[in-house]
Amino acid sequence: MTGRGMKNFLVLRLLQAGIVAVVVGALCFVLMRVLPGDAAMRIAAGRYGPDARITDAAAKIRIELGLDRPLAVQFFEWLGSLARFDLGHSLVTGSPVAHELQVQLGASVWLAAAALLLSLLIGPIVGLLGGLKPGGTADRMGLFGAVTFRAVPPFVLGLVLMLVFSRQLGWLPPAGFGSPREILLPALTLALGLAAISSRVTRNAVAAVARAPYFAFARYKGLPEAVVVRRHGLRNAAIPVVSYLGLQAIYLIEGVVVVESLFAYPGIGHALVHAIIERDVPMVQGTALTMGLMFVAIAAAVDLLTYWLDPRMGKNA
Amino acid sequence: MNIQLKQDLVVRNLSVHSREGTIVSGVSLALGQNQPLTLLGESGSGKSLVAQAIMGNLPQELKASGQISFRDADLLAETAIERRRRWGRSIGLLPQEPWLALDPTMPVGPQVAEVHRYVRGKPVGESAAAARENLAEVGLAAAGALYPFQISGGMGQRVAIAMAHAAGAELLIADEPTKGLDATLRDSVTARLRQEVDAGRLLLTITHDVAVARALGGMIGVMLDGRLIEYGPAEVLLAAAQHDYTKALLAAEPSQWQRQAQTLPGKCVVSARGLEKRYGDKTLFSGFDIDIAAGEVVSIVGPSGCGKTTIGNILLGLVKPDAGAVTRDASLSPLRFQKLYQDPPAAFAPHQTLRKGLADVARLHARDWEEIRALCARLKLQEALLDRLPGQVSGGELQRFALLRALLLEPAFLFADEATSRLDPVSQQEVVRFLLEIVAETGLAVLMVTHDRDLAEKISTRLIPVAGSGTLAEAGMAG
Amino acid sequence: MSTVEPVYQQPKPGLGPARLSGAALLVALAAFAIVGPAVISADPAAQDFGATLAPIGGDYLLGADHYGRSLLARLAHGARLSFGLAFLTMLAAAMPGVFLGLVAGWKGGWTERGLEFLATIVLALPGLMLVLLLLAFSPGNYGPLFLGLALTLWVEFYRVTKAATKGVLAQPHIEAARMLGFGSRYILLHYVLPVIAPMISTLSAFAMATAIIAVSTLSAISVGLQPPTPELGSMIVELLPYFAEAPLHVLLPATLIFLLVLGLQLLAQGERA
Repeated sequence: MTGRGMKNFLVLRLLQAGIVAVVVGALCFVLMRVLPGDAAMRIAAGRYGPDARITDAAAKIRIELGLDRPLAVQFFEWLGSLARFDLGHSLVTGSPVAHELQVQLGASVWLAAAALLLSLLIGPIVGLLGGLKPGGTADRMGLFGAVTFRAVPPFVLGLVLMLVFSRQLGWLPPAGFGSPREILLPALTLALGLAAISSRVTRNAVAAVARAPYFAFARYKGLPEAVVVRRHGLRNAAIPVVSYLGLQAIYLIEGVVVVESLFAYPGIGHALVHAIIERDVPMVQGTALTMGLMFVAIAAAVDLLTYWLDPRMGKNA
Repeated sequence: MNIQLKQDLVVRNLSVHSREGTIVSGVSLALGQNQPLTLLGESGSGKSLVAQAIMGNLPQELKASGQISFRDADLLAETAIERRRRWGRSIGLLPQEPWLALDPTMPVGPQVAEVHRYVRGKPVGESAAAARENLAEVGLAAAGALYPFQISGGMGQRVAIAMAHAAGAELLIADEPTKGLDATLRDSVTARLRQEVDAGRLLLTITHDVAVARALGGMIGVMLDGRLIEYGPAEVLLAAAQHDYTKALLAAEPSQWQRQAQTLPGKCVVSARGLEKRYGDKTLFSGFDIDIAAGEVVSIVGPSGCGKTTIGNILLGLVKPDAGAVTRDASLSPLRFQKLYQDPPAAFAPHQTLRKGLADVARLHARDWEEIRALCARLKLQEALLDRLPGQVSGGELQRFALLRALLLEPAFLFADEATSRLDPVSQQEVVRFLLEIVAETGLAVLMVTHDRDLAEKISTRLIPVAGSGTLAEAGMAG
Repeated sequence: MSTVEPVYQQPKPGLGPARLSGAALLVALAAFAIVGPAVISADPAAQDFGATLAPIGGDYLLGADHYGRSLLARLAHGARLSFGLAFLTMLAAAMPGVFLGLVAGWKGGWTERGLEFLATIVLALPGLMLVLLLLAFSPGNYGPLFLGLALTLWVEFYRVTKAATKGVLAQPHIEAARMLGFGSRYILLHYVLPVIAPMISTLSAFAMATAIIAVSTLSAISVGLQPPTPELGSMIVELLPYFAEAPLHVLLPATLIFLLVLGLQLLAQGERA
């Protein structure tokens, strides 16, 4: 049992990370060139602020960055600096992009982690109750909840929660960042959406394991029920749930962008949307790249977890 | 029965009822040490329900009545909890398709060891050691670290036996233990079950395979439509069956068939020289020569995975050989080379009615629908079946439709790829009989590929054995 | 004792209660979206400051917003916009997706590898991120929104079509059909399309639901369509500050989005998992 299969997963994920960087980099490079006005001028304004000597500064920047050279050369240089994690300066605030990202990344990771944790507290439990008795009351209630929550876009769900919990009941702050109370509403918004899906995946996985011949055979071997469930039920039911987390990473990342903007939560998603509105290309690039890599990292973590749970993955018979 | 043996399990007047009515009625049988019992019957005959009633795992909606005495205890009078307590400890189950009954995410060693640990309450280290011993008893000393997907069907069945040893069950119930195994593996599993009997265990086997019943000996019960229609010692019942159904079942076994009369071969239809095929770095066969003439039935016999199907596909031009050449009679259209498939439903589009499929073939080749009607009558296929989907007719009927479809193109060569291996013996006999009639009438050349040597010997003009290349054959569950 | 068991299970015929209610819901909403803008005389952009936040059931059937614009008219136009944009996006994604999926499944080899690489590139980023990046070129416009959504949605059509096509083509009954003399056209029409058609229609409903959610979400976070376009998502955000005075006004467009998506998901059989 070598780690060859696992190595393959990691190589694929690294490749994906590379594609993310090239796609984001290329789009932002083009964006920088097609925006109305002079690119050097914009960079100068970003660095030094719009003052009288901006034209001189722009000229210097043009030579410094080689903006007068062929586009292809500039493009590879652009990608080169990306590879060195040199993300440039914000066109709006003038501070280094990497600097701003550090703070925002922390906030977003907390939000994503809290959402994932909450969803894992809700989804699998609801799914387990449904899967143990398919067609029963718990199953039908779970289905109703899942269908409902899946039909509500995250921003509407967020608004409804905000209206109910902070406006009507006054229990939680509607926006802000810093305390667990403030993270709760945005995290719950994401968690409910995630749980709507994971509860059904769990339900189907549990129902499938309960029907599986190996589950029945474990009983016929004479094992007590608790041992049957612990040794032959949990791991097998967890495999599809965990591997589905990889797909849920898409919902999570997209949701983080939306929910952060909605709750004015100072994370990377919020910054990305702002950068797009303000056309702050280096910030767009930095935030999009970070979120894309976050997505790849989650997917890689899910791969590793699935690999550990399921011996059939990537191993030859 | 010459000596009255002690009966350890006695079933008296067992019936199984569902809400709609009685599914199994009035079954009485017994088994003891050195006197295994085999229940023969087709699916739906109720033989599995009898086993489930004894085991105590009948589906909830079914109720059993009558009496099942096991070592002086009346099993049907016990509560569900008491019955479950017997599982593993006094009654062990050998599952059908063991590769599905083993937990796919756990190596087989721990799956045996947990029986010692949790059923017999031994400490962890002792359980692991005992499990290694159990696996060694069934010749799998080295397999403990393998996952179920890494072992063959035959090995899976032996793992299940090791588990029964671990639990120490006195009565073994083997539910279709050879389902999906080819003849070689089937014989090794049956031999293993026989050893269990010789070691003093009680054995109840459920099977549809007469060969398994014959090899196990002891008592045989034949079930049909929920009734035990015949019951007696194997040597008596197999030699002189009383009931018509049993007679038909025994007569359908290829080993009981009449040897076909030889016909004079016509001119050569297809031949090949020096065929070679490799998969990866493994050579399936090389330097293989074959000639098939009109009116001949040539059989290639060998275990699963030896590449015999590939030879047929090469002759049809479906697979390219790595070396060698195929020569076909140039006067014959490629459409006159046809194939019958192992799994009949797979050879038909699942959502197309048989009528539509056949009508399209007839239209494409400008054949008259009357020809299809005539062939239906000839192959004893009711026309009402034409409006069904392929999944809604039996395997035997569907294989006859496949034959009918091929006959519409007036084939000169037919490759029958294990074409009857998934049919019950009676259907198999029927399909083969029609096929041979057509060979005699039309001078069709047939290449049979089969793992059933009896079948090949009875019907072929020539027989070509292909040796299995060891590991591939071991890995194969037929198909 | 036939050991051959039916392998193929017919998909449940007919509609079933969930799909039927989804279809009914969609028909009602489509009627509102198509007939509404034609029948309702009020201009969705006409402001009437005398009727600011007019209550439901007064002069304005569904009330008026903070500029005194008829909510009924704005909802009808918003529904038409959502439906229409989602439908066009779905078509723009499904047509190339299904076509390329068929090509890749049929040809295999380098064609398939090339298309797979393309799909991998698109899937490397979550779909919404790609749409956002394209929106950065010109926020608030239909063009990049439509293009970005179609670009991310075609992949699923492609993948499902390719996998299903390959699955069908690998089956013995295709080999049998070829030996019986049937050509590629017959195989495509009679063997491949009947298998992929139900999958494609399910995917189409999901793709439309995704597009509706995406358009309203992006508009709500101010990078999609901009006010005064009567877009359901931006209507919600516009009305949000007046929640205390007119809570129902905020909930109306939200309910409309919910019903649209619910209808589509029920029609697609509700269960993707």
